[in-house]
Amino acid sequence: MTEAQVLEHITSIVQRMLEDKGVKAATIEPETELLGGAISIDSLDLAMLVRELEDVVGHDPFAEGFIEFRTVGELAKLYAK
Amino acid sequence: MIAAGAFGLDTSDTAPLIANARGMLSRGDLARAAETLVAAMSEADVSRLMVRSDDPFHILRAIDAASRTGADLFIAHTNLPEAHIDAVVKKFGVQMIVSAEDRLTGETPAEAATARIFMMTSGTTGAPKIASHSLSALMSRAKAAMHPGNRGAKWLLTYQPTGFAGVQVQLTAVVGRGVVVAPDERTPAGFLEAAKANGVTQISATPTFWRAFLMVVRPGDLSLRQITLGGEAADQSTLDRIRKAFPDARVTHIYASTEAGVVFSVHDGREGFPAEWLDTETQGVTMRVRDGFLHIRTPNAMGGYVSDTAQPRLDDGWLATADRVEIRGDRAFIVGRDDSTINVAGSKVYPLMVEQFLLKQPGVVEAHVYGVSNPISGQLVAADVVIEPGLDPATTRSAILAACRENLAQYQVPRAFKVVDAIAVRESGKKG
Repeated sequence: MTEAQVLEHITSIVQRMLEDKGVKAATIEPETELLGGAISIDSLDLAMLVRELEDVVGHDPFAEGFIEFRTVGELAKLYAK
Repeated sequence: MIAAGAFGLDTSDTAPLIANARGMLSRGDLARAAETLVAAMSEADVSRLMVRSDDPFHILRAIDAASRTGADLFIAHTNLPEAHIDAVVKKFGVQMIVSAEDRLTGETPAEAATARIFMMTSGTTGAPKIASHSLSALMSRAKAAMHPGNRGAKWLLTYQPTGFAGVQVQLTAVVGRGVVVAPDERTPAGFLEAAKANGVTQISATPTFWRAFLMVVRPGDLSLRQITLGGEAADQSTLDRIRKAFPDARVTHIYASTEAGVVFSVHDGREGFPAEWLDTETQGVTMRVRDGFLHIRTPNAMGGYVSDTAQPRLDDGWLATADRVEIRGDRAFIVGRDDSTINVAGSKVYPLMVEQFLLKQPGVVEAHVYGVSNPISGQLVAADVVIEPGLDPATTRSAILAACRENLAQYQVPRAFKVVDAIAVRESGKKG
């Protein structure tokens, strides 16, 4: 899966989370910091996002231990192959 | 003349103690607030009070006032449903509720006060479990943690302020002439902002908090002296990342329980603990492994539960935990819990309680709640529900999720939520 495709998945999962919370949709860019406050998700939403990405993309970049990431783009890179 | 109480605060002391949304409060400010509260309690003949706030100012002035008067204090989570609070107030005869606006309840105490501190678990559907502590025991724990590096320290209050760990951090700041820093917004970005603004030097938090916090903190943001991990087993990769981000800080991971207090502290940066600590008494505490489970013996176990107990005490005086231990070489590791409890970022969630809550929602006919693992929070709450035929799955789903957000703590809300046709039943007759 390409980085652009992963980005699309991240965007759609996050938008669905926001919708479930009754919060209005957010602009999500590769440089958006996931927990920086621009999008209304908490660390448990982020945990769920990572879990869902594993299901969609088919591999777990954290299998060998945690890897640092801060932005949407950095997270997408981890899953892209 | 009002008694000084266990804190021994002086109204003329201008040293800072609390940094919260309203700014900085001194030890003297707290002493004056406690004296005012003592006067109000005396006027209404209050011997049982409750504090219900996440603000350390209200929590500490309530503890101080209780210790000056010998009153019983109930420390309640702000996210407990009203009905449970009302039930506790009635059952125990709590006369006054301390928060941003103190108020009298009109109740009379069910029994004479004995200067106890009662803390509650965050039960949602069942009644909260209430643990009884003595302030002197809590204070001696805080004093025991007082090595020179903790004097005058600035603590970031990452734990739920009304929980056991959160209260301990606040007491430690009082005892060590430190400052407790409470952010306006309890998000990683909010914690970082408050920590930077106040020059925080010590952070005690769950490994899950650290994983999220490391995503927002940048090199040079903070000069931390002490980093502590507790509430969940600390894993090697998180310990390594913290060490890399804060090379100058002392990194400690602890194993503690409400019942036994801090059982061990590890400072060598390696996950697990030295196996030689087993069966040897250290500062009065002894650990042993029986049938793969960790047992603890400690002279300062808490006073007991007013309601049902979590860690059963065996006939020989040991506390039996549900934590499984594995020994590999010279090291012992806590490898998991043998109950159905879901550990979400260090907070325990009882699946049955969430199931019962879901089953009370309109249109829900069956619910199965379980944990799903992930690299960030350890586990998360997942729920499968079966709804009445003919209902629209999308609107029913939204309504149920909204009810969960309104009534459950954020860590209890199912983050994976599926409407399914049926829920599998095992041969044992149990779900899932």
